[in-house]
Amino acid sequence: MNRINQLFEKKKNNVLSIYYTAGYPGLGDTVSIAEALEKSGADMLEIGFPYSDPVADGPVIQASSKLALDSGMTLDLLFKQLKELRNKVTVPVLLMGYVNPVLQYGVENFCKACAEAGVDGCIVPDLPMYEYEELYQDVFLKYDICNVFLVTPQTSEERIRKIDGLSKGFIYLLSSSATTGQNLQVSDTTSAYFSRIKAMELKNPTMIGFGISSKETFDKACQYANGGIIGTAFVKSLQSPNPAEGVSSFMEEFTGTVLSQS
Amino acid sequence: MKAGLKVCGMRDLMNIQAVTALHPAYIGFIFYPGSARYIGSVDPELLSSIPATIKTTGVFVNETLEEVKRLIALYELKAVQLHGAESPEYCAALQPYTEVIKAFGVNYSFDFESLIAYEKVTSYFLFDTLTVNHGGSGKRFDWSLLKQYRLNQPYFLSGGIGPDDVNELASIDDKRLHFIDVNSRFEISPGLKDIELLSTFFTLWNAAPAAKNYNDMNYFVNEKGYYGDFGGAYIPEMLYPNVEELRQHYLEIINAPEFQQEFRALLKDYVGRPSPLYLAKRLSEKYNANIFLKREDLNHTGAHKINNTIGQILLAEKLGKKRIIAETGAGQHGVATATVCALRGLECVVYMGEIDIQRQAPNVARMKMLGAKVVSAVSGSKTLKDATNEAMRDWINNPIDTHYIIGSVVGPHPYPDMVALFQSVISEETKKQLLEQTGNDQPDYVLACVGGGSNAMGMFYHFVNDKDVKLIAVEAAGKGVHSGHSAATTALGKEGVLHGSRSILMQTDDGQVIEPYSISAGLDYPGIGPQHAHLFKTTRAEYVSVSDEESLDAGLLLTQLEGIIPAIESAHALAYLEKMEFTGKENVVVCLSGRGDKDMETYMKHFGF
Repeated sequence: MNRINQLFEKKKNNVLSIYYTAGYPGLGDTVSIAEALEKSGADMLEIGFPYSDPVADGPVIQASSKLALDSGMTLDLLFKQLKELRNKVTVPVLLMGYVNPVLQYGVENFCKACAEAGVDGCIVPDLPMYEYEELYQDVFLKYDICNVFLVTPQTSEERIRKIDGLSKGFIYLLSSSATTGQNLQVSDTTSAYFSRIKAMELKNPTMIGFGISSKETFDKACQYANGGIIGTAFVKSLQSPNPAEGVSSFMEEFTGTVLSQS
Repeated sequence: MKAGLKVCGMRDLMNIQAVTALHPAYIGFIFYPGSARYIGSVDPELLSSIPATIKTTGVFVNETLEEVKRLIALYELKAVQLHGAESPEYCAALQPYTEVIKAFGVNYSFDFESLIAYEKVTSYFLFDTLTVNHGGSGKRFDWSLLKQYRLNQPYFLSGGIGPDDVNELASIDDKRLHFIDVNSRFEISPGLKDIELLSTFFTLWNAAPAAKNYNDMNYFVNEKGYYGDFGGAYIPEMLYPNVEELRQHYLEIINAPEFQQEFRALLKDYVGRPSPLYLAKRLSEKYNANIFLKREDLNHTGAHKINNTIGQILLAEKLGKKRIIAETGAGQHGVATATVCALRGLECVVYMGEIDIQRQAPNVARMKMLGAKVVSAVSGSKTLKDATNEAMRDWINNPIDTHYIIGSVVGPHPYPDMVALFQSVISEETKKQLLEQTGNDQPDYVLACVGGGSNAMGMFYHFVNDKDVKLIAVEAAGKGVHSGHSAATTALGKEGVLHGSRSILMQTDDGQVIEPYSISAGLDYPGIGPQHAHLFKTTRAEYVSVSDEESLDAGLLLTQLEGIIPAIESAHALAYLEKMEFTGKENVVVCLSGRGDKDMETYMKHFGF
């Protein structure tokens, strides 16, 4: 069974997933950051493979992508770095990025390389549902790679049902229709949206992401979903000179919460 | 080819002249005394004023052969249309004298197999509603009956076709449908046509998407949003509701008569359309061909960009949007967007790369004067592609009240189709103007420059299904295709996804987008629109490139031979003439997409004026 499915079998609440950009801040930091995150209590990791034109991302993740690209990060190099991943890390790992690098790498090659490296899933925001279903689903299933879809407050119920049907792993609930790195405003409308999704009793677990930057916002997310995803806030914290060391201090705030409630 | 139009039942002199000005393919005159539109015995002069490119057609019902032949000779009829029980032998007897169209009234018991005997002795069939009075009922028959028609003979569709039937007619998937015959539904009284109603119908019909299945190869978008292997909507979920809203409504909104009327009125009175098709005599002499320039440079704001922004702002209003965003490279699309926002009183935010803001100060000032907010894109390479990214990010963050006016035939479906539709007015006018000026609406060559490809798509649109017309798209080679400073996308690019659609783009082996270069700010885009990628891959259009140097020389040449300073973008299209060979007979249309005022500094620097 895929590690993502295993995780949600044994942990239904307060699942903490962390996003960071491969090759940032240093080209060779990809695996050491993963190790540090697991040690500090992360339940799941999302490693971003950088792209020159990341339209869904705000300034912080854009800048990390650009720096990683300028340092020479490529999908090829990333898969080389990930060869040692499973000797050091046991939590589920997803790759997150844009569709064009995947198409150039070849979708089948990409899924195969993911499977060989022990990557469990991927999130490709600009790969449309129609193309996934028509062209690529069989390849993803063949290598047991969970493709994770996004849902926003504007996504219709009909479409959410369709996404639920196509998903394996979990569904990524965006806290608002926004690019990454904006603060989660837990207004009445967001609460209503989260409650609406919860009431749909989807077959897949849900994780809330975008705008989760503090213990307070993480706790809020966990009220409505199986857990939360922290991206921009973590990437920002990596700007310190020794990133692996910074990880544990960043994580304390969240894992403290998680441990006390689990 | 889309079906042509025939107007039938004419007899009033002024009315005939007004209909002639609309350039139908056929004008019909009813020589059947039993008809309310019987022409009577009119002066042959009445018909002789009609240009030869419009076929004058006599409509008869069981008339004697001698009388028909007499009238063909008297009125110099180019065609006869037979509505009675005329036999195949009767048709055969008329064939040496004129084109023979045999009409049949169709109802549920009509036997299409009975037409076999007529196939060889006629040029066309005409299918009309079956009535005891030999047509003229003003009612439609059930067009689905045409599925039973299995012969190859092309036909006219007639009977009760009205002003609201454009979309339904455009959806008829039958390459044998060559002409559409209209009559009583466009009348003030029998024989007197309502010119305004007809004119709107002609405009709508000409603007309707070129009948998509008239060729074995479909060069236009399919129902999934694809052009062959290209297109689609590769967008994050955050953009899905906006793009889906557009996809569901754009055709319905654009094809509505009141939208078209407003759009056409603004193009005419505000933009100054139709833009002239000018036979450049001295340039023609130099290149030994008839070179026609489609003068988009004479539009308000100085380029073709305004055709699209006018269309999209009206569409945004129909969608209830209050705020407009746009990206711009050189500032031309930004100015065109700021202009229509001022015109309609909508908030306007234009994203522009930080480097471009420095390079294009006058256009930045124009946008600001027009009331737009210009936001500097500081991400990535700080040029057009990054401005596009920033505009998309804005749209993601403002999904409800904002419409994004994309300036080229790029982006997720339906943008490439929508922008092409608004720009297709360029080729729509060109065809009409060519017919008037040369007697043939098909030239030998059509040339246009390509960055994202909006002027080229507008210029190609109505010629794409005219297989004898050679389409040439000219890309910017910059300092040379392989110099590392180029924007020649088809030469250097590979298939991939850029800005929401699958197309051809310049990228590294790892799929990172490469920043292009051209001296012309309007052409330095790393991709081309998906329809262009399809026209390239199917070889329907030829994609070539010229360098900075060649385009500047061509700009100077046009200025000194014709007194027209072209935009450096347009000068790329002109520069390719230098590489072509002509025999003196060819008709060549070049899209002069914009004027060169904005490029004076570059010209000055290069030529040392």
